[in-house]
Amino acid sequence: MRFSIYQASRQGGRDYNQDRVAYSYSRDALLMVVADGMGGHSHGELAAQITVQTLAATFQRHARPKLSDPATFLHGALERAHLAINDHARTHNLNEIPHTTCVACVLQDDSAWWAHVGDSRLYLYGDNGLVTRTRDHSTVQQLCDDGFITQEEMKNHPDRNKIYNCLGGLMSPEVEVSRPIPLSEHDTILLCTDGLWGALTEEQIAATLRAFPLARAIEFLMDHAELRAGHAGDNLSAVAMTWGTMGEAGSQSVSTLTMPINTFTTKMDDLPAIPTDLAEEEVERAIAEIQDAIKKYSGK
Amino acid sequence: MAAQPNYALPNGYLLMDYRIVRKIGGGGFSLVYLAYDSNDQPVAIKEYLPGSLVKRGENDQVEPLTQENANAFRYGMKCFFEEGRSLARILHPNVVRVENFFRANDTVYMVMRYERGKTLQDHIRAHRGEVREGFIRRVFAELLNGLREVHTQKLLHLDIKPSNIYIRMDGSPVLIDFGAARQTLTLDQPLLAPMYTPGFAAPEQYTDQTMLGPWTDIYSVGASLYSCLAGFAPQAADARLISDKLASARSTWSSEYSESLLGIVDSCLHLNYMERPQSVFALQKALMETPPPLSKKRKIMASLRKTLNREIF
Repeated sequence: MRFSIYQASRQGGRDYNQDRVAYSYSRDALLMVVADGMGGHSHGELAAQITVQTLAATFQRHARPKLSDPATFLHGALERAHLAINDHARTHNLNEIPHTTCVACVLQDDSAWWAHVGDSRLYLYGDNGLVTRTRDHSTVQQLCDDGFITQEEMKNHPDRNKIYNCLGGLMSPEVEVSRPIPLSEHDTILLCTDGLWGALTEEQIAATLRAFPLARAIEFLMDHAELRAGHAGDNLSAVAMTWGTMGEAGSQSVSTLTMPINTFTTKMDDLPAIPTDLAEEEVERAIAEIQDAIKKYSGK
Repeated sequence: MAAQPNYALPNGYLLMDYRIVRKIGGGGFSLVYLAYDSNDQPVAIKEYLPGSLVKRGENDQVEPLTQENANAFRYGMKCFFEEGRSLARILHPNVVRVENFFRANDTVYMVMRYERGKTLQDHIRAHRGEVREGFIRRVFAELLNGLREVHTQKLLHLDIKPSNIYIRMDGSPVLIDFGAARQTLTLDQPLLAPMYTPGFAAPEQYTDQTMLGPWTDIYSVGASLYSCLAGFAPQAADARLISDKLASARSTWSSEYSESLLGIVDSCLHLNYMERPQSVFALQKALMETPPPLSKKRKIMASLRKTLNREIF
């Protein structure tokens, strides 16, 4: 397999990044995942993190070096992630089960399979623009499909954040799995969260992907979306892959031909540590400081 | 996130040199106990105990519920320190005094002077709709001395309300509970999201945390003044932003309170912070002016309006 791949995730205007992205590949198969932990629910980032970890781990267990049935794999792995989130919530006594969207894509045998839950999207672009994209499991997508609103109205509709299908929670997710789509040279697959697609049109994405090498295109789209969303903008994340191309600046160009048969390369960011953690000595110092101030100001 | 069941330290518990008498208050971040020190003087002890993050485990030690919570717990502790640090530097008769700060049970404690008296909220409840103008002017003018000192220390209270204003036995007010001062520090910490008191929090506390300033506390002072007149809290600022139904003090109590006091209340409650008094000093000066004697007899309409107001709430 030969492809270029690039992933990025930004916090946008939010206090916390609840998006997670990852990809992992063996000699004969590639997995890409994007998960958007749900705002309004506590620990959304945990649900997203568990999801990408579960998918990557399951992929690495079964892609030896390729999956026997990508569609079954995707279905099973997403269900497994759903159970893992619920298990985590139970064992850690979380008051609320965290939720996440997920879109995952497997490439092998020159074909792509994907599955999704919620409103994170997959776009497949060919030489002539958009080939297909996933339909969100959201209220606004239903309204759009029923002809009540247009695609553009979806982006500003008051119910745009309402999704009826997600991983984690008491309701079992309905994982929607695509049929396999054969890939041609230069096809690009983009997986992204609503923070990115909500601020861009399909044509803008197509034009940008055509105009720039993959890494530049993704950064350009992110810049554009972040700017448009402004101060209170959502987290934005994407992982994108162009099939069969080599030697593009910035993105990682991969040829898996020389890879040992049962090895994996994975790119996944760890759960970021909360930056302002307080070390033991800092606690002691703060207390001493306060006691000093009390003594000094009370004249004791 | 709902609070975990966090039980308080038992009555009679010995905490360092202090003997706990009983729990007297607490919110989402902390519990407050009445205790006696080694000289048998009463103190109020505040225990850092964010219920959403920790529980009390073996031997009264405080334990994080999860590993992620451990980090957030430590972060919140930093904010608790900020509160202690700021209060330690304020030595003012109208601001609660911090006497000690220490670590125990894997958490931290702040010891404050215990004030005898009752809260302004108790006073309002006891004199509903009948709080005298002289009392209001005197209490708030004196209280603002304390608030000026707070602002001088570059600290915002952010949770001024009648239940956080204590009236001592001698009638002097004291500002308590600076727990909300941490709000300015928790923007990147969703596990310890800020909490507002509806009716007393300023609109910018709901909308744009970067716009907080002395004017934010001034809104809360205005809301507290308003509740002295009305006997209940004004409409919450977030609701006012959508549909402002707040009856102005000037239009409601013109026969009971002086024009100048009502004007002060209304000016503090402007949704646009630029239109409020811009400093505590300006507000204090206005409050300290002697009002012209109120000679008008209560009119029938005003009396009716007042009765209606009382019936509604």
